Amino acid sequence: MVVKAPAVEKPATAEELARRLHDAAVSNLAVAPAGGGRARGMGDPLDRCDVLLHTTGLDRVIEHSQADMVVSVEAGITLEALQAELGKTGQFLPVDPFNSPGHTIGGLLATGWTGPLRLRYGSPRDFLIGIRVALPDGKLATGGGRVVKNVSGYDMMKLHYGALGSLGVIVAASFKVFPKPLQDETLSEAGGWAAGERALSTPLAPSALEVLSDGRVLARYAGSPAAVKRVRDELGWQRADPAVWDDHARRAPERWARIAAPRSELRKIVDALPDGAEWWASPGNGVAHWAISTDAQSVRDLRSRAEKAGGTLVILAAPDDFIREVGAWGAAPATIDIMRRLKKAFDPNGVLNPGRFVV
Amino acid sequence: MPLPAGVAEALRRIVGRESVIDAPNDLRIFERDGSIEGALPDAVVLASSTDHVAAVMRVAAKHRIPVVPRGAGTGLSGGAVTIRGGIALQVTRMRHILEIDPVAQTALVEPGVVNQELSLVAAQHGLFYAPDPSSQKACTIGGNAAENSGGPHCLYYGVTTNHVLGMEVVLADGSVHWVSGDSPDRVGLDLCGVLVGSEGTLCAITKIKVKLLRIPTSVATLLAAFPSIDTASQAVSAVIGHGIVPAALEMMDRVTVGAVEAHYHAGYPTDAGAVLLVEVDGIQESTRELTAAISEILTANHGYALREAQTPAERELLWAGRKGAIGALGRIKPNYYLHDGVVPRSRLPQVLSAVGEIGEHYKLPVANVFHAGDGNLHPNILFDMRDHQVIHQVEGAGEEMLRAVVELGGALSGEHGIGLEKSAFMPWIYSEDDLDAMHRVKDVFDGDGILNPGKIFPDPSRKAVHLAGRTGLAIEARWW
Repeated sequence: MVVKAPAVEKPATAEELARRLHDAAVSNLAVAPAGGGRARGMGDPLDRCDVLLHTTGLDRVIEHSQADMVVSVEAGITLEALQAELGKTGQFLPVDPFNSPGHTIGGLLATGWTGPLRLRYGSPRDFLIGIRVALPDGKLATGGGRVVKNVSGYDMMKLHYGALGSLGVIVAASFKVFPKPLQDETLSEAGGWAAGERALSTPLAPSALEVLSDGRVLARYAGSPAAVKRVRDELGWQRADPAVWDDHARRAPERWARIAAPRSELRKIVDALPDGAEWWASPGNGVAHWAISTDAQSVRDLRSRAEKAGGTLVILAAPDDFIREVGAWGAAPATIDIMRRLKKAFDPNGVLNPGRFVV
Repeated sequence: MPLPAGVAEALRRIVGRESVIDAPNDLRIFERDGSIEGALPDAVVLASSTDHVAAVMRVAAKHRIPVVPRGAGTGLSGGAVTIRGGIALQVTRMRHILEIDPVAQTALVEPGVVNQELSLVAAQHGLFYAPDPSSQKACTIGGNAAENSGGPHCLYYGVTTNHVLGMEVVLADGSVHWVSGDSPDRVGLDLCGVLVGSEGTLCAITKIKVKLLRIPTSVATLLAAFPSIDTASQAVSAVIGHGIVPAALEMMDRVTVGAVEAHYHAGYPTDAGAVLLVEVDGIQESTRELTAAISEILTANHGYALREAQTPAERELLWAGRKGAIGALGRIKPNYYLHDGVVPRSRLPQVLSAVGEIGEHYKLPVANVFHAGDGNLHPNILFDMRDHQVIHQVEGAGEEMLRAVVELGGALSGEHGIGLEKSAFMPWIYSEDDLDAMHRVKDVFDGDGILNPGKIFPDPSRKAVHLAGRTGLAIEARWW
């Protein structure tokens, strides 16, 4: 089989991007939206790909209103570039995804990737307040706005968040941003899950709490200096260099999966990983990541365990053959028919990321 | 318009003879919600279970009869008004808290559970449900989820959608589905996120799984007076600009404070141009530090008569005044028309001065009591419904206030929903393409348009927009 390399498009404006998407759609060409490429391994291998539609030409901060604590950006800006802008005013976007640096905002929204800080701030789903999306029919559709609280019309942010570009290509987004905490300390301790539980039940809840497969626990406490000090004294743990979070965020094994489960079930699933497996978990979030070093069958077994507990196991990156063998997503959700109808309403010819997502 | 022949009987077979109301006089109770406009349903069905809701929906689907899910009817945007007649599907008999899981910190509730009741029950486990609309003594969790309701403490904790983990819903064809659930990062599209806040136009909600939070061990509530709304607004920006996001940051203007104080005697300073109510919570170390920092900022921004609630009773009294403010306004005029625009916080002084001018222009008293930290204003236009002429004035003033909100980069509703009252204004903030995308969602869930018809989307046949000549402004001022 001869596979033709896809055409690469890198439009400089949202309007141009929408036009390119429309042009491709009317010619029934398959389009794969692309941002920083940090999550390109997520999902099943594409059925076909004729156009790689990059958002990285759209990399402006449209508006940052410090007083309103709201920022609007184009989707192709990297998280780091946005943080640099927000940092000038002591603000930040509380997202710390793995396989950093280099994620684009659009990519983070499309994939729904998060990191440890989700414990305190929630995921971008919680602070995404506006979105603009290019649709295969060439339209640019906006939802939400740039106010921090808004129930005007349907929540179109939720429709596209985590939809892996299956309904449209995110071209811009607005966020509620946050002030950097007055005090932000990282504590570290050996002691695995039990220590993690202890850190989770301190009077001041941690802003991030990670348990690693080597038994280390990283706990981050943010807030008023006196409150943070009280927790440090109570736990009696070592202070760690905050740079430990940058190292942690760089994690991106060649083959890896995300396990998500009800919080109370997570540990049981992680305990069932093969001996010596490398993993890291956010017990407070119900999310763990696993560096897969075993065969497809063990992935299937673990997925089945996760699904029985009401959770999921999703492949974040692996060779195509491996993904074909185990499937990227696992069991289809019970509401798949409704999802397919939504897909059809937005992308009737199935030109966006065909085969990659569940719809 | 009466129901087609046999439908009332079919409904009675589902829920029982006593649970269908269709005598004209009895229907009047269900004519309204908390907003101005009303319309009679053809029948009210009192559902007690998901099966009831699903079976009613199947009957309605077969005959293409409108269905409007209804909780306590406290909504302020006409969301529960049966503007096209049909069935008001009352879910307040579905009022069981099915499960509280203190370890997972979640609750599974039926839609008719009253918001405050959930927090009261959860308190036995040291937990609470964070979204706290001012109507929380009466409003239901189902209605909260349908409207994506807010409340004073949403400044820090987030609105309803941030607290709903999953829902059981009945779609327009009568099918029953679970969307989302206990696990994060589920596979597929986030249907739950789309359905929360869809105002009964996409589904009826029959069960809700919500997050509960630990009750903070320390709470500090501060009251400060300001010479004017302007200075109080600036103080709000200053607090947040210092990197402090309080649990709640509420403002009341002089008119409101006068009414509240006369009713509650909570010690609100009646000479002030505006009053701020600020609350911080957490552990004692942090509330103490934050209270000191906030007091300093408020004082530096012309705040005076600072007072910290010394006892839980005093704190509750201050909040009773805030949450009961709208009722207290009855001392001034018997009726109110409450709007719910949101602006970027820094535009509060501008929008409030516009609101004041509009009130003066229409010669209508306006009382402001609102979530200042969120930029979510609530101008209450006060009037007497018995004066039939005044209604048009009231609606005209409300519309101009919303227009001012939109022209300052805001949105039509922060927490009350678009419903009936603001659907005509949607083109002020959304283009045809934007609305078309939303309509695609509507068509996927409810192709025949039987679920809460006439809401959210503009209905050109129903109401002329008085300011039609000015529409398009907001679109031109778009920020993308």
